[in-house]
Amino acid sequence: MVAALKLVGVRKSFDGFVALDDAEFEARAGEVHALLGENGAGKSSLMNVAAGLYTPDAGQIFVDGEEVVLSGPREATACRIGMVHQEFKLVRPFTVVENVLLANWRGRFAPGVRETERQIKKKAAELGFDIDPKSRIDELSIAERQRVEIIKVLLAGARILILDEPTAVLTDEEAVRLLKTVRALAAGGAAVVLVTHKLGEVTTFTDRVTVMRNGRAIALLNSRATDAAQLTQLAVGTTVASPRRASSPPGEPCITVKGLRAARADGHVTVNDTSFYIRAREIYGVAGVGGNGQTELVEALTGVRAPLAGSIEIEGAGDATRASPERLRDFGIACIPSDRFGYGIAGGLSVVDNFCVGQIGEGIYGSWMRTNGSAMREATTEAVGEFDVQGVRTLRQRAALLSGGNAQKLIIAREFTRNPKVIVAHSPSRGLDVRACAAVHERLLTARARGAAILLISDDLDEVLSLSDRIGVMTRGRIAAEFEAPADRQAVGRIMVHHA
Amino acid sequence: MLHFVVNWLAGTPSFATPYALAALGLIISERAGVLSLGAEGFMLVGALAGVATELQLGGYPGIALLAAMLTAAIVSLLFAFLVVFLRVNQVIAGLAVVFFCHGLTSLVGTLGGWTNRAITGLHAVAIWPLSEIPIVGKILFTQDIVVYLAIPIFFLVNYVLTRSMLGLRLRSVGENPEAADAAGVGVSLYRLGAVLAGSALIGLAGGYLSVVDVKLWIPDISGGRGWIAIALVIFARWQPWRALFGALLFGCIEALIPRIAAAGIQVPQYFLLMTPYLATIAVMVWAAMTKVGRSNEPAALGQPHVREERR
Amino acid sequence: MLNDPLPVASRTQTRSAKKHADHGWRLGRLNLELRQYMSPWYQALILGSALVVGLGVSAALLVAAGVKPAALFDEFIVDNCTDPENLHSILFQAAPLIFVGVSAALAFRVRFWNLGIEGQMIWGGIGATAVSFYDTGPPALRLFLMMVFAALAGAAWIIVPLWLRVRWHINEIIITLLLNYVALNFLLHLLYGPWLDPKDNFPHSPQFRAFERLPELGFGISSALVLALLFTALSGWLVLVTRFGFFMRFVQNNDRMALAVGVPIGLVTMVSALFSGALSGLAGFVIAAAQEGRLTQSYFEGYGFSGILIAFLARSNPVAAMVVAILVAVLFVSGRSLQVFYQIPFAMVQLIQAIIVICVAASEFLMRHRVHWVR
Repeated sequence: MVAALKLVGVRKSFDGFVALDDAEFEARAGEVHALLGENGAGKSSLMNVAAGLYTPDAGQIFVDGEEVVLSGPREATACRIGMVHQEFKLVRPFTVVENVLLANWRGRFAPGVRETERQIKKKAAELGFDIDPKSRIDELSIAERQRVEIIKVLLAGARILILDEPTAVLTDEEAVRLLKTVRALAAGGAAVVLVTHKLGEVTTFTDRVTVMRNGRAIALLNSRATDAAQLTQLAVGTTVASPRRASSPPGEPCITVKGLRAARADGHVTVNDTSFYIRAREIYGVAGVGGNGQTELVEALTGVRAPLAGSIEIEGAGDATRASPERLRDFGIACIPSDRFGYGIAGGLSVVDNFCVGQIGEGIYGSWMRTNGSAMREATTEAVGEFDVQGVRTLRQRAALLSGGNAQKLIIAREFTRNPKVIVAHSPSRGLDVRACAAVHERLLTARARGAAILLISDDLDEVLSLSDRIGVMTRGRIAAEFEAPADRQAVGRIMVHHA
Repeated sequence: MLHFVVNWLAGTPSFATPYALAALGLIISERAGVLSLGAEGFMLVGALAGVATELQLGGYPGIALLAAMLTAAIVSLLFAFLVVFLRVNQVIAGLAVVFFCHGLTSLVGTLGGWTNRAITGLHAVAIWPLSEIPIVGKILFTQDIVVYLAIPIFFLVNYVLTRSMLGLRLRSVGENPEAADAAGVGVSLYRLGAVLAGSALIGLAGGYLSVVDVKLWIPDISGGRGWIAIALVIFARWQPWRALFGALLFGCIEALIPRIAAAGIQVPQYFLLMTPYLATIAVMVWAAMTKVGRSNEPAALGQPHVREERR
Repeated sequence: MLNDPLPVASRTQTRSAKKHADHGWRLGRLNLELRQYMSPWYQALILGSALVVGLGVSAALLVAAGVKPAALFDEFIVDNCTDPENLHSILFQAAPLIFVGVSAALAFRVRFWNLGIEGQMIWGGIGATAVSFYDTGPPALRLFLMMVFAALAGAAWIIVPLWLRVRWHINEIIITLLLNYVALNFLLHLLYGPWLDPKDNFPHSPQFRAFERLPELGFGISSALVLALLFTALSGWLVLVTRFGFFMRFVQNNDRMALAVGVPIGLVTMVSALFSGALSGLAGFVIAAAQEGRLTQSYFEGYGFSGILIAFLARSNPVAAMVVAILVAVLFVSGRSLQVFYQIPFAMVQLIQAIIVICVAASEFLMRHRVHWVR
């Protein structure tokens, strides 16, 4: 049987960083083929090559046995390859129809809105989706946007459908629904590639699985004849023990948030009447689908965004509701932001600068008239060693050159050296490999043992469940329910979806 | 009093037209995500090219205006090359191009001997019998041909931007170039086209200033009108009809200045000359203070697009 | 067979020779990716090449405008190196250029696009001239007062755009630029009105008295240059040594992150911008009090762009800005003699500066991206 899509010897590097090293892949029509691997294993890069977005340095692409050269997404579409990217490629102020039209231009001047609307409705009905073609992408939920992407790609004629981590942004229930749809598409003759790092999806919903590690495809297996243990062994190489939580009784409430309200820059209120408290020696986890107000909550707590209403009280410092970020840091708040290269690090500045900015106001690196370079370098060297920040060739090196995991370690070094009373950690392990992820979790648990109150906000339900002492579920800007650890995964998941 | 008002309003369209055309040109390029700070420069190039053509040909203001458009578009190729293909910071590139055009036009104007030489230019055309209608006739139907043409140009551009596939694709490039790219839209090509089309209109605005309004070339003839047009686009929230309204507002203010002096009202003239600039600042403050919800600003305005970016 | 993990190496045997047969004719295409790192030496090489290209294009333009290539060499190199008179003019010219260059550099450091340098120079000149015109203070303190007023007036002219930017997020590029035209009209109002020189009825202010002019210190060094160097040193200390300068780096590099880690970005932005305005005001003072000896109509022309060019080439480093400013002074002085001897308009100097900026900005493409040919 000829493979619908076949990639041979694909090599791709980004400015010296080898993302793909002689990678192989093939998917047949009628199957759901999983592409499994850790973050950074090269899954997305390989599929971006197949979608025509990345030009490989070497290698061949075959569609139905014919070699093709994809010089852009348009050629990929012509070969009937369609990809739903992890970050949706939708124009947000446009409507659903306009987005579909964009990808399906037939060379005419007038768009032909009516006809396309009909096609969208028909396709949506076939797939069991409920989508109003006239609604703006802005107004849709993440799951709905994903459905728009799938319809868009299918209407462009895709027969080879690539889905890049489609379930990462969905709740468990939405994920199951999507995966069932995907199976139906495969049954209808499409070749579906499911990029994922979730083992459960692989064993339940796919036919075959290709495992990638370090830019190479290292195994091709039949999904039904394998199990999670074998897949983990292949994908990660070594198994990493998850950090064990020592239980110690929590202390007095350290930070109390009451009736907090905050809005995005565009005026949209995303945090609405949120209340919770965190005690010393406690990790308070906030579970929830991304975009339900988590970002604005973090910004309000760290002083970057002034809340519209409500109060934030910190034990020992009193009311901190509209305090500036500097004051909040003086009160003992530390933050690990989710967008680490956007809010955690100044990429163009050196490792020393990025570490020392956290405490320079305290005068330990020289007076205001003269910063003491050697004191700064000494402190940084020590912290880099203690927090195991790898890849620092010289201290003058730009922080942007650090990998995601090491940048995160540098941020943690900066924030934790001050012995903060309250730690706000937003998706601290997003995009990190297993080892770096474990190191970050270890640090959080150490800080907890030392007496800090920790707010852990994450899209990754497993992370929240495994680390937290108490869990609040955030939907539509408020804490809809609270659970004591150990919490029931199903129950938490239900609140995430249904409590709208 | 009525005489004063009629004369004032009748003078407004010819002051408003350069603002309107330049703002429209800027909207085209900014909707595709290119912040065209070079507008002031392209206006100067258009103005000089118009006068030079007319002086060389000894007339033909229509051809002079076409030459203004063409020359501005050619010079904007330099800007487009810098920002679209070399991904130079759009602010730096825009400023450099403005000063490049400043230097180039005063140099070429002097070397070519075109500075301070009067031309016949383009004259007003009364549309008879509409021009005989009392009051309205003089205000609306005794203008020059470019004023009349500006209206269909606005209709056309607005239609293309909002109703056609071409406009949809162009706007997608300005809102989310990654999505546009994945949908098979040639991001660089659309941006290049938008800059060229936009600066042709800006060049026409410049040509209008020199060939129709002042009827001669002097260095720095645009006097900041390009910058005012950029502010107008922000005020108009990137929508053509609002830009036309803003242009008329500024046309009113500018048309008032010579009228006041002619009417013998005692106001220090240099303070009067400040008014367009102060009005622009006021309009920008107003736009910022009334900004509710979405501002309509193209999300990728000023952002270069590199397909193979890896984080 | 599907059950055991297949080593991929054995599967690469399927690679066929077909590719070469089918696609041997393909030219391939350019592929662009973002560069993470480039060694400083390579960067310097690219920057140097860009400068050479820019100067080459400029030289070609001058030749096209009628200057003989040999004369070009004489005008720019020989005369400036050998003639003490020329050297004197260059150092004289350098003082205001250093002021505007450092001014722009300070504003760039906090990402404030100060395009209002010319307006601030105008106000600096007006401030200094007001002290002279209204005969304020004792003669011994007169120059000092003029300087203080010039700096204050320059700083005052940046307050409005600064406040609009900090409070309302209104783009400062356009506001600062438009305020230049407002300042210019106010200057013209003064020069054609209350400050018109009664002696000759020309639109410039009355001549400053001897004690209102910046003195020569001998050896061809003007006190204006000494002032410029003093303020360069002050700015250099502020930017490169103090904690304030440390914060400025963060505001320039990533202001969102700076805010989050507790850098007082509002304060840093405001102080730097005000200082930038004050330095531009001083540039106006220096020209009025050292070069012209009175307020004229056009003493500020072209300095706004030169300041931005200097700060851009100096990567916003005040000390480097001083060096670049002296080089730009060479261009200014040579441009004037070309004007006298070859009737080439002074606009040529502006054009050359723009060409150099364009070349250097374009060269950053090679520093930021890696281009390679994919077959």
